[in-house]
Amino acid sequence: MSSTRKITDIPLNRVEGDLEVRVEHGDGVITDAWSAGILYRGFENLMIGRGPLDGLVMTPRICGICSTTHLMAAVRALDAIAGVTPPDNAIRLRNIALMAEHVQSDVRQSVMMFMADFANPAHSRHSLFEQAQQRYTTMGGSSFIDVIRETKKMLEVVAMIGGQWPHSSYMVPGGIAFEPSQAHLLQCLQIVRGYRQWYERRVLGCSIERWLAVDSRAALDAWLEENGAQRESEVGFLLRFGREFGLDSIGRGNEAFLSCGSLDLPADTAVSGSTRQLVAAGVVRHAAAEAFDHEKIAEDVSHAYYKKALGVLHPSAGETQPHVTEREGGAYSWIKAPRYDGSSVETGPLAEAVIERRPLFLDFLAGPGASSLTRQLARLTRPATLLTAMETWLGECIATHGAAIITGDGRVPDGRGVGLTQAARGALGHWVNIENGKIARYQIITPTAWNGSPRDEKGVRGAWEEALVGTPIADPDNPVEAGYVVRSFDPCLVCAVHTVKRTS
Amino acid sequence: MVAARILCIGNRFVGGDDFGPRVYDTLAGMERPADVEIVDGGLAGLNLLRFLEDGRPVVFVDAVSGFASIGEITVIDGDTVARQTNGSFGHEAGLPFLLSVLPAVVDNPPPRIRLVGCEGGASDGAVLDAARLSLQLALEAG
Repeated sequence: MSSTRKITDIPLNRVEGDLEVRVEHGDGVITDAWSAGILYRGFENLMIGRGPLDGLVMTPRICGICSTTHLMAAVRALDAIAGVTPPDNAIRLRNIALMAEHVQSDVRQSVMMFMADFANPAHSRHSLFEQAQQRYTTMGGSSFIDVIRETKKMLEVVAMIGGQWPHSSYMVPGGIAFEPSQAHLLQCLQIVRGYRQWYERRVLGCSIERWLAVDSRAALDAWLEENGAQRESEVGFLLRFGREFGLDSIGRGNEAFLSCGSLDLPADTAVSGSTRQLVAAGVVRHAAAEAFDHEKIAEDVSHAYYKKALGVLHPSAGETQPHVTEREGGAYSWIKAPRYDGSSVETGPLAEAVIERRPLFLDFLAGPGASSLTRQLARLTRPATLLTAMETWLGECIATHGAAIITGDGRVPDGRGVGLTQAARGALGHWVNIENGKIARYQIITPTAWNGSPRDEKGVRGAWEEALVGTPIADPDNPVEAGYVVRSFDPCLVCAVHTVKRTS
Repeated sequence: MVAARILCIGNRFVGGDDFGPRVYDTLAGMERPADVEIVDGGLAGLNLLRFLEDGRPVVFVDAVSGFASIGEITVIDGDTVARQTNGSFGHEAGLPFLLSVLPAVVDNPPPRIRLVGCEGGASDGAVLDAARLSLQLALEAG
């Protein structure tokens, strides 16, 4: 029996105007996929010839959501070049601001972007559709509005630690530029505690400790049936709605995961991690764990609109030279294809959970495998792994107020360095070369470059391209299934331009 | 005490979208009343809510598309801007989304809002005109 193969553009423009995802489908199933970034950005080239500290001011402006993360990556690269380790309180305050960005983003993305599609008319026959509309309808859904009202408060933590918002550039080589007052630190602690209480009540429906005790799929089922608060929580609704729709059986991907590690632990702290970081670095390929080595990262441009003569390069030697010609027909994206030791990998909260060896997520991988639901569950529950440490570190900053906040004189000599951290969406790296007191090379690999990369020279698909293959589409004119697969990675491409356009 | 704010938004690294930041830079070099706060709002989107909570009048400055002739400076009221939202939230959510959701997410009555926009690329003269106009509107509102 023959099938008709059709090419369809997935209407992701609701979320990502500069991302185009095209799929081939037949017999109601996606058989191939191409993900294309359609906007040349080239921020790296803006950096060349500037002073070493300019990355601290310029790169946070790359993204309207992840500005603190870019600041962290930029300063870590300069720390490495200067050979300095920040004092404990500088480490804590850098971390807390970054974590504030994460816990805000995780809940906003989950409820306002991913679960907002539960109110899509495609679900009109879903048993929970009416509730989904009441909760997630854009502008009026109860969860949608409540999430904005609560998450906006977390930004004040970044503003107080950074001294201003937006464009806080308070991280400097060797530490931070100033210490917030004790009064401001106490306010930060109050905000984090308030956010935790709301997160436990609305998002989890239980205490963080109870959630973290869920260590298997069976335990998750038991948790879901334990009481009404948990069933009606955002996590409970995600699970109930997602399972009935089948989100747990789509978006598996290549099951190769990468975390470059994040949130250095101070030398003296009550917070513990599996390594010297709260979020461990590592790689898991087909269930085999291995140490992360950034030297194994390379950028493949075989299917991207960049000059190919130099081949596959480590980012410290990387080039960003746009090149479009009809004679190289294989290129289809402005996103390069980062590869780890030759592998296409995914990064983000699920990767962190797998690399941290969290039992619940390992059980998913050992059983049905990764899915869009698992990936989103990891994101929505990641704040449970961060909020307690935020409170502890704020308490330690208050108790040791007045301690050193900077090591060294803030100068950056010539040299090469890499700044790695975990953004809300996954691994972020800045590779910086300083020569003759100027930036000679600046290369950035973002989480969306990892997850949304095009094919590489071997024809291997990027992470969400691979995750799309095999996804059923009930209605090609409203392919919500494909949208869920891509959004479970939280693609981030278009925060660069916000022009007000007339639509009415 | 802040009487009014001028929030200049946009991406200073992207030609055409850098109108707001250029106006901010111009305002920063101008003499102006101490109670008019100017903010380089960049790409903060929904996180600009913190400047809209206290009910003080706000003049936004941003690049616009479809409201005027190329190079023309125009003033648009906040309600009209809010109506330009596509009704959804994403990483690209900008001023129309922010203003449309505003009444539901702040505790005080929303402030009076106007937008000083420039269609297409702006000349240095247009940037200066927009800076003066936004300051005048802020002073009138404050």
